[in-house]
Amino acid sequence: MRSRIRGLAPTPILAGFLLTGAALAVLPLVLELSIYTHNLMTLTFLSVAGALAWNWMGGFLGQVSFGHAATFGVGGFVAARIVLWAPVPAPLAWLVGGLVAGVFALGAHPALRLRGPYFSIATIGLGEATRLLFTYWEDFTGGSSGLSLPIETALKHRLYWWGLGLVVLVTAASWLIRRSGLGLQLLAIKADVDAAADLGVSATFYQDLMIALSGAVVGVTGGMWASYFSFIEPNDMFGFDRSIGFVLMAVIGGVGTVLGPLLGAVVFVLLRQYLLASYPQLYLGVYGLLLIFIILFEPLGLTGLLRRLWQRLSALRGKV
Amino acid sequence: MNIARPSFLKALLAALALLAVGLPAQAAPPKARVSVGATLPLTGSEARIGGFVKEGYELAFEEVNKAGGLQVGNQKLPVALTLLDDATNQATAVSLADKLINSDKVDFLLGTYSSHLIEAQSTVAEQYKVPYLQGGGGATKIFKRGFKYLFGTISPVELLGTTLMTWIDQQQKAGKLPKPAKIALLWENTAHGKDFRKGVSDFVAQNKGAYIISVDESFALDGKDFSALLGKVKAAKVDLFLADAHLPDYITMHRQYVASGLCHKVVSYGARGSEKGAIDALGVENVKYILSGVWWSSQLAAKPGPSRDFVTAFKARYGGRDPEWFQALAYLSAKTLFAAIQQAGTVDREAVRQKLATMKVKSLLPGGPLEFPAALGQQAQNPFVVQQNTPDGKSPIIFPQDVATGTGVAANPKCPN
Amino acid sequence: MERFIDLALSAVLLAGLYATMAYGLGIIYGVLRVVNLAHGGVIMMGAYMGWVLHRKLGVDPYLSIPIVVAASYLLGVAMYRVLVRHLPRGAAGGPASLLLLFGFWLVLRNGAYLLFTGDDQSITTAWSTSSVVVLGSQLSVSRLAVLAIGSVIPVGLHLFLHRTHLGRAIRAVAQNPDSCTLVGVDVERIYGITFGIGTALAGVAGLLSATLFAFNPGSGSSELLKSFVVVVLGGMGSVPGTGLAALILAVVEVFAILVLPSYLTSAVGFVMLVLVLVIRPGGLFGHRVLG
Repeated sequence: MRSRIRGLAPTPILAGFLLTGAALAVLPLVLELSIYTHNLMTLTFLSVAGALAWNWMGGFLGQVSFGHAATFGVGGFVAARIVLWAPVPAPLAWLVGGLVAGVFALGAHPALRLRGPYFSIATIGLGEATRLLFTYWEDFTGGSSGLSLPIETALKHRLYWWGLGLVVLVTAASWLIRRSGLGLQLLAIKADVDAAADLGVSATFYQDLMIALSGAVVGVTGGMWASYFSFIEPNDMFGFDRSIGFVLMAVIGGVGTVLGPLLGAVVFVLLRQYLLASYPQLYLGVYGLLLIFIILFEPLGLTGLLRRLWQRLSALRGKV
Repeated sequence: MNIARPSFLKALLAALALLAVGLPAQAAPPKARVSVGATLPLTGSEARIGGFVKEGYELAFEEVNKAGGLQVGNQKLPVALTLLDDATNQATAVSLADKLINSDKVDFLLGTYSSHLIEAQSTVAEQYKVPYLQGGGGATKIFKRGFKYLFGTISPVELLGTTLMTWIDQQQKAGKLPKPAKIALLWENTAHGKDFRKGVSDFVAQNKGAYIISVDESFALDGKDFSALLGKVKAAKVDLFLADAHLPDYITMHRQYVASGLCHKVVSYGARGSEKGAIDALGVENVKYILSGVWWSSQLAAKPGPSRDFVTAFKARYGGRDPEWFQALAYLSAKTLFAAIQQAGTVDREAVRQKLATMKVKSLLPGGPLEFPAALGQQAQNPFVVQQNTPDGKSPIIFPQDVATGTGVAANPKCPN
Repeated sequence: MERFIDLALSAVLLAGLYATMAYGLGIIYGVLRVVNLAHGGVIMMGAYMGWVLHRKLGVDPYLSIPIVVAASYLLGVAMYRVLVRHLPRGAAGGPASLLLLFGFWLVLRNGAYLLFTGDDQSITTAWSTSSVVVLGSQLSVSRLAVLAIGSVIPVGLHLFLHRTHLGRAIRAVAQNPDSCTLVGVDVERIYGITFGIGTALAGVAGLLSATLFAFNPGSGSSELLKSFVVVVLGGMGSVPGTGLAALILAVVEVFAILVLPSYLTSAVGFVMLVLVLVIRPGGLFGHRVLG
C-alpha cells in the first residue's frame, strides 16, 4: 500500500490537487455562496488543516496523541493576546501563535520515548494538566470567562482563503514528507524505534521535529479559530473533546494516509452539522458506531473504503 | 491502481461543488410571518436547562399565535420559532446562529442558555446586526463589550452576590450575626462563579470592618471530592458559608458538608437551594435554612400581575408543573421581543433594536419596569429574590420585603451555639 | 494537628474511592494489555443501574451490588466477544483499542441520554448524609462503606487469583498467553472472563459513586482520568500496587490544598501521571512494562 503511494506518478496528482485548490479559491467569487456556506467551508478548512497536522504525529509516526488541544489552545490564546495588545496584522499573530505552540509542543519531549497506549495516556495527562493551568492563568487567558476579540467581519470573510491556503500548504507538506527520505525514516521509527536507531535513524530528533511542526500548524489553526469566533475560552479551546476531535477526523478518514485526514475532517464537520440539525439526540451514538465500525472493519477509514471500491470497479472493468 | 488517487480528488471536488450549489443563497420570501431563531443546549451538559428554556419560548410563541399573531403595522403576522440544538458547544452555537441568520433568514434571535455559549454566539448577531434577546447568560462580561444588538433580560450575577449580602447585612445590623463576620467564599471557576465572587467581595470592600473573607477558593466544575476544600473551611472557623455552584456540584458538595459536620450561621449556594431535585437528593432536614437568590420565583404569582398570568398559563400548558426562573426569563425574553416589534410597527431589525434600547415595560420580574440601560451594556438590573428553605420543605421569598412571602431566619438555628 | 488528622482521614477515604474506581481498569490492562477507554462509560452505567434499582424497585444500593456485578459482568463479556476480541494485540493494537472502546463509550453515553435524559441524578438513602466520629473528625458513613468495599475487593481478588483454578489460569494467561494455549488453556475464554470481571468492578465503582455524587450521562470522564493515574502509578495491573497508588494520589491531592489553590489540586494528579510514565514507566512499585 505504501509502495503504491510512493510509486505514484506525481503529475496527475499534482494537477488534480492544484485544480481542486484553484477551484475552491474561485468558488466564492463565481458562485453566489450563502454566507453560511462560506463560513462553514472556512471552518472545514481549519479542521482539515488541524487533522492533517495531527496525522503527522498520529499517522506518520504512529504516536496517537489525545492532547493536541493543548497546542491548539496555546496558539489561539497567544494570537488573541497579540491582537489585543498591538495593531499587528492578524496573520502575523497566527504565525507567532503557531511558533509558540510548536515550542510548547516540545514540552512533551520526555513523553516521546513512550510508545503505543502509554504515549496516548501521557498525552491525556499533559492535555488535561495544560487545560487546568491555563484556565487558572487568569491574566493570560482571562480564566474561565475567556477572551473577547474585536469583531472583524472582513477578516472573517477573508479567513476562507487563509484557511484554504493553509490546507494547500499542509497537504503539500504531508505529501512531501510522505514521499521524501524523511517519510521513510518516520516509517522506520513507526515500525520499530529500536531497529530504526540501529539503522542510524535518530528517532529522538525526528520525533521532536514532527511534534513541533504538528503543534505549530495546529497552533496556527487555533489562532485562526480565535479570529473567526472573536471569543475564546480555555475550557473549550483546551478541552478533551477537541483533542478527541482531531483523532476522530483522522481515524474516520484513514490514519497515516495523506488524503485520509482531509476527507475525514470534511465528513466530520458536515456530518456533525447535519446530525445536530436533524438528529441531535443521536449524534454521539452515530459517531461511536462509526468509530467502532471503522476500527473493526476498515482500519484505513474512508480512504480504505474508497480504495476497496476502486479495486472492485477496476476488477469489473478488467473483466469487461 | 495508480490512478486511484486523482479520482479521490475528483470525488472530493464534486462533493464540495455539490455542497456549494446545494446550499445557494436563498431569495427572501414576501413577509408573511415574523421569523425568530434560537439555538439551545438540548443535548450535552446543559441539556436539562436547555429543555426548560425551550418550554418558556414555546409557550410565548403559542400564546401569540393563538391570539392571531403579532400586530405589525396594519397587518397581523404569525410568529415562527426555528429552534436548533447547539449541543452545549460554543463552535456549534456560533455556526448555527450563522445558519439561522444567513441560511434560514430569521428576522431576530433569542438567546441560548449559559454564559459562555451566549458570549460566543452573540458575536454573530452583532456582526450581522440582528437583535439578540437573551435571559440565560448573566455574566456581566458579556455586556461589557459595547454590543448594540445584544439585550439581556437577566440581571448580573454580581447582583446576586450583592443582594445576598444586603440581606445578611440587615441581619448583622439587627445583631443576629457577629461583627465582623468571617466569610468562606467558594466559587466554581466559571464566568458565573467569578461574578458571584465579585459581587460578594465588592460588598465586603464597601463595608469595611463588618466582614472578613477568610477563605476565597475556586473549584472545578463537576468536582467530585470537596473534602480537602471543606476541611480548609472548617479550619478557618468562619461564620458565613457562601458558595456558588451548579446543581450537581451543589448536591455533591452539600452532602459532604453535612456529613463532615459543618454548620454555619448563614449557608448559601448562590442560585441553588430551592430546587425540588436537590431537596429530594439531600433531604429536607439537610437543606433547611439554606439561602438562595434567583432571578424569579413562582411565588411572585402570589399577587396578581404578569407573574400570576405566566404561572397560570404555564401550569395549564405543562401539566400543572410550577415554572422555575429559567422558563420565566425565556418567556419574558420572547414576550419582550414581541412587544418591541409591535411597538416599532415593523420587522425592520434596526427599528426594533432602537425600540428595545429605549423601552420600559412592566414585566414579571421583581422591582421596577424592565429596561436595558445603555450604560450597563443593555443588561436588565432588576433585583434578585432571596429565598430561604424552611423546615417544612418550602422556600418562601424573604427579600426584598415588598414581594416577601415569609420571614428569614438568621443565624441558622440548626447549629449548636 | 487537628487539621492534619482531618486531612489524613479525608485522604484515606478518597483513596478508597480511587482504588475502587481503578481496579477494573487495572485488571483488564494487566491481563489483556488493553486500555479500556470505555471504563468511564461503564462506571456511568453502573451508577444508573443502581439508580434504577433504587428508584423504581426500592432496592438498597448496597444490596444491589450482586445484581450490578452480574449485569456488568455480562456487559463486559459481550463487549469482549463482540468488540475487543477482533482487535490486534500488542503495542500496535494500542491506539486501535483506545479508539474502539471510546466509540463504545459514546454509544453508551448516547443510550443513557435517550433512556434517562440529561438530568442530574443521585441515589439518596437514609444514611446518605449521616456520619460517625473517628479521631475527633466526622466521617461520612457512605464514604466509609466505599472504603470498606474498596479494601475488600483487593483481598478478594488476591484470593481469587491465587487460590482458585480459574484465577491461576488468568494469571498464567497474563504472563504468557502463547504457552497457555499450548497446555490447553482456552485463552479466549479467559480473556472474556477477565474483561467481564474488570467491567463488573467498574460497574460496582459506578454504583458506589452514585451514593456519593450527583451524576448524569456525561459523567465518567473524571473517574476515567483518576483511574488512569492510579493504574499507571500502581504499575498497570498489579492489584496491591493499585491500592497503594490510590492512597498516594489521594494523599498528594488532599495535602496539596495546603500549598496550592484548590482549583489546581487535580492538576497534580495529571502531572504525576506524566512524570511516572516518563521516569518509571513500570509504575512506582511494579516491573517495567517497556523495553
